[in-house]
Amino acid sequence: MLPPTIPTSFVPRPSDATSRRFTSDLSSAFGFFAYGILGGVFVLAIGVFFYGRILVNTQSAKNAELKEAEATIELATVENFVRLRNRLEFGATLFANHSAFSSFFTLLETLIPSTVRFVSLHLALHDTTGVKLDGSGVAKSFNALAVASAAFATDGRIKDAVFSNIVVNSRDNSVSFALTATLDPKSIAFSPSAPTTVPLGSSDIPIREETASTTPSL
Amino acid sequence: MIHDRILPLFALMVATGIFFSYVHPTWSGRIAETKAAIISDEQALVAASAYTTRQNALATERNAIDPENLSRLAVFLPDSVDNVGLILDLNALAARSGLSLSNIDVTKNKVESSDASGALPVARANPTSSIDLSLSAVGTYTALQAFLVGIEKSTRLLDVQDIVVKSSDTGVYSYQMKLRIYWLR
Repeated sequence: MLPPTIPTSFVPRPSDATSRRFTSDLSSAFGFFAYGILGGVFVLAIGVFFYGRILVNTQSAKNAELKEAEATIELATVENFVRLRNRLEFGATLFANHSAFSSFFTLLETLIPSTVRFVSLHLALHDTTGVKLDGSGVAKSFNALAVASAAFATDGRIKDAVFSNIVVNSRDNSVSFALTATLDPKSIAFSPSAPTTVPLGSSDIPIREETASTTPSL
Repeated sequence: MIHDRILPLFALMVATGIFFSYVHPTWSGRIAETKAAIISDEQALVAASAYTTRQNALATERNAIDPENLSRLAVFLPDSVDNVGLILDLNALAARSGLSLSNIDVTKNKVESSDASGALPVARANPTSSIDLSLSAVGTYTALQAFLVGIEKSTRLLDVQDIVVKSSDTGVYSYQMKLRIYWLR
C-alpha cells in the first residue's frame, strides 16, 4: 500500500503544460511580429533606395530637358517682341494725342472776317489745360470785331474768347484789340484724312502746294 | 527560451534603427527635395512650352505685318532721339515749304517715365522719352501752313507744342515754334 501523500505517476499536471504552451506561443507570435517588421523595414528601405535613384534619374532627365528648352529662348527675341509691342501701344497713345495746328489756322480763316487781322498770335499746348490762345490784332471797325466775336461764340470751338485792350483809333476808326481764348482740343486734333502730305523722313515725296481758298487773315 | 525572445527583440531594434536612420530621413529629406525639384522643373517646362507657343504665335502675327509698315513704325517712334538727323529733315521740309529756318535748339529735356528695372523692359512702364526743339523761321503764311502740314504728317511723330506768329508789313511773318519729338528708350 502506497502512502497517501505520494501522488500517483499517471496523474497529469494540466496547469503547467498549458502555461508553457501559452508562453511558447507568445514567443512565437512576438518573433513572427518582430521578424515581419524587420522584413517590412528592409523591403521599405530597399524601396526607398530605388525610388530615390529613380527620382534622381528623373530629375536629371528633366534638368536636361529644361536646359534644352532654355536654350531655345533668346533674350534678344523677347526684347524685340517687347519693343514692338511698346512701339505699337505707346505709338498709338501718342498718335491719339497728336496735335495739328494747321486745322486751327484753317478754322480761323473761316471764322474771322477779312476786315480783322492779327498782328501776333501765340498758341500754347498745355498737358493739363489744353490749348491757350493769346493774340493781338486790328479790326477795320468795331463792327468787324463784333462779327469776329459773334463768330467765335457761334462756332464754339474757340472758347472763352475775351477781347480786351480795345482801343479805337480816331484817325481811321480802326480798332486794336487783344484776345485770350482756349481751344477745343478737337479743333487741333489730327485727322489722317487731311489732303496734304509732306512726310518727314521720306524726302522724295513731293509737297502738294497749299491753295488757300481765303486770304490769310494774319 | 531566452533566444526566442532576444532575437526578435533585436530584430525589432534593428528594424527601428533602419527606419529612423535611413528610411524616414531619406523619404522626408532627399526624396522630398528631389520631388520638389522635379515639380519645379515640370512647371518650368510647362512655362517654357507656353512661351514657345506664344513666341510662335507672336512671330506669326509679326510676320503678318507688312515689313514696310514695320520700318515706318520704327521711323514713327525711333530707338534713339537722333535730333540732328531730324533737324536736317526739318530744314529740308522748310526749304520745300518756302520757309527759312534759323536758330534751332533743344529747349527742354523731358523724361516721361522712370526706367524699368530688370533685364527686360517692363510691359506697363512708359518706355518713351521726349525733348522739345525750338526753332525760329520767317516766311509767308502759305509757307507756314505747308510746313505745319508737313510736320503733322511727318513719318516721325512731331507735336507742335507752342507757336508764336508775328506779322509784318512786308507780308513775311516771323515764327517761333516748339516741337516735341519722341523716341523709344
